[in-house]
Amino acid sequence: MLGFVFLAFIGFVLLLGLRRPYLWVLLYVYIDILAPQRIGFGVIQSLQVSLVAFAAAFGGWLLLDRKQGVTFSFRQALLLVFFAYCFWTTGHADFPAEAGTKWNWVWKALLFAIFLPFTLTTRARIEALGLTMVLAIGTIVIGTGMKVTLGGGGYGNLKFFVNDNSGIYESSTLATVAIALTPLIWWFTRYGTIYRPHWAVTAFAIALIFACLMVPIGTEARTGLLCIAALAVLLLRYTRRRLLFIVGAGVLGLAALPFLPQSYYDRMATIAAPGGDESASTRMAVWEWTLEYVAQNPAGGGFDAYRGNSFTYQMPVREGTGNSTSVEYRKVTDEGRAFHSSLFEVLGEQGYPGFIMWALLHLTGLWQMERVRARWGKRDRAGDNGEDEAWIAPMATALQLATCVYLVGALFQGIAYQPVMLMIIGLQIGLNSYCKRIESAREQDALDSYSGPRGRIKAKRGKADGPADAVTA
Amino acid sequence: MIDYIALSIGHGVLAIALLRLVMRDGLDVDPLLDGLRQAALERRKARVDARRAKRRGARDTKPADPQTQAES
Repeated sequence: MLGFVFLAFIGFVLLLGLRRPYLWVLLYVYIDILAPQRIGFGVIQSLQVSLVAFAAAFGGWLLLDRKQGVTFSFRQALLLVFFAYCFWTTGHADFPAEAGTKWNWVWKALLFAIFLPFTLTTRARIEALGLTMVLAIGTIVIGTGMKVTLGGGGYGNLKFFVNDNSGIYESSTLATVAIALTPLIWWFTRYGTIYRPHWAVTAFAIALIFACLMVPIGTEARTGLLCIAALAVLLLRYTRRRLLFIVGAGVLGLAALPFLPQSYYDRMATIAAPGGDESASTRMAVWEWTLEYVAQNPAGGGFDAYRGNSFTYQMPVREGTGNSTSVEYRKVTDEGRAFHSSLFEVLGEQGYPGFIMWALLHLTGLWQMERVRARWGKRDRAGDNGEDEAWIAPMATALQLATCVYLVGALFQGIAYQPVMLMIIGLQIGLNSYCKRIESAREQDALDSYSGPRGRIKAKRGKADGPADAVTA
Repeated sequence: MIDYIALSIGHGVLAIALLRLVMRDGLDVDPLLDGLRQAALERRKARVDARRAKRRGARDTKPADPQTQAES
């Protein structure tokens, strides 16, 4: 039954796309994030809905889209080089079969991230993509939040729509992505045009953000707690009343403490004492192994190169009877332990060149969004922005925060090729290109207002002296 | 049960959003960029018209050439 409902929804969007082909891009985003073919039963499991949606999205863009203002940016080129490099390392992987399995989904995520900015030519499209991502993640988060609020949850106990601990349905990944998207959710309460600012939209957004905050609590994902802390610290930069924000966050945190289960405290306590937990202890060992491995294999070992690791370490095991607790150090041998960090994941799998590309991809994103935020925020404060442009700086802030939170989460889990974050990169590129097109249109107009070649030289000089004049002209 | 509620809410809100997008003209053509382009075109046209009018005005006020006057 559920499978048919999903198929009906997919059919509905495919039909709508006949009028607006861009909706097929959104359909692919929805399918890629939520994976309805893995939730439903019956026919939908045997259909390649993801492939159909991608073919429709790409074909629709190629044949029916206006493609006005489409550009190929530096970050897209970087993604393309990274894509080609990953393909090469897959061919030379230490574990070819396992590397091939991972490559099967990574190439689709990378290719879609390269393609996505081509379609983001209008404000409505940028917003629609953000909304689809928020609602697809939101669908998972709403269920999780309700379960946690009603008393469910616990490490490894919380059930999602899909319980195979992979992709977005891995608890730490979901926690990171959910927290990363909270600034974008709030953006919709102020600047949304698909759902205009309204008390109902604000109420829904508050409930959704609350559900997002419940994900790390319900799943007891330590990374999630770190992401919340990182987001709180980062928000200080954008908050006008910082003292009020600190006091409010403190009071809210203290008020939440009595409602948290003991198991949550126990799990979070291992953040400060990683030696007492196997998951945390092995990370250190894997990271050391990765550094040694990449020193010997600078070009990387291809996907799943971690399968070659093996190490023995001492781990304290506490045993208590009555009032006495004994600590015994036992030797633990681990083999094929995963990287547990995106930085080491990329370093081990793609070597130094891949790591530099991956890091550059995210750092340029942070820098790009900072530039957009600064430039359009300045215009906003100067009163130069109309209603049509007031949304740009806050959107850049939300996307910048998403990357920051993702990078914090990525320090402790292998989510380097996470499709949602690659979509965020696509969204950032799209926003940046859109801003450049506005600036370019204004500058062109300013240049045209001077007649003749002498005027053009004057205009160029004017631009060099003060670009704001050219932009506002 | 909770899963069904969550799926219904998510899909319901998404379906309404997609319906609104289908009916929106700004999805394929950006109103701001289009407005800027239109305004630039109009200004360019106005400038050309003004220049032509200026040239025409200068020609009308220019005194007649003595040579052509003698020929006639």
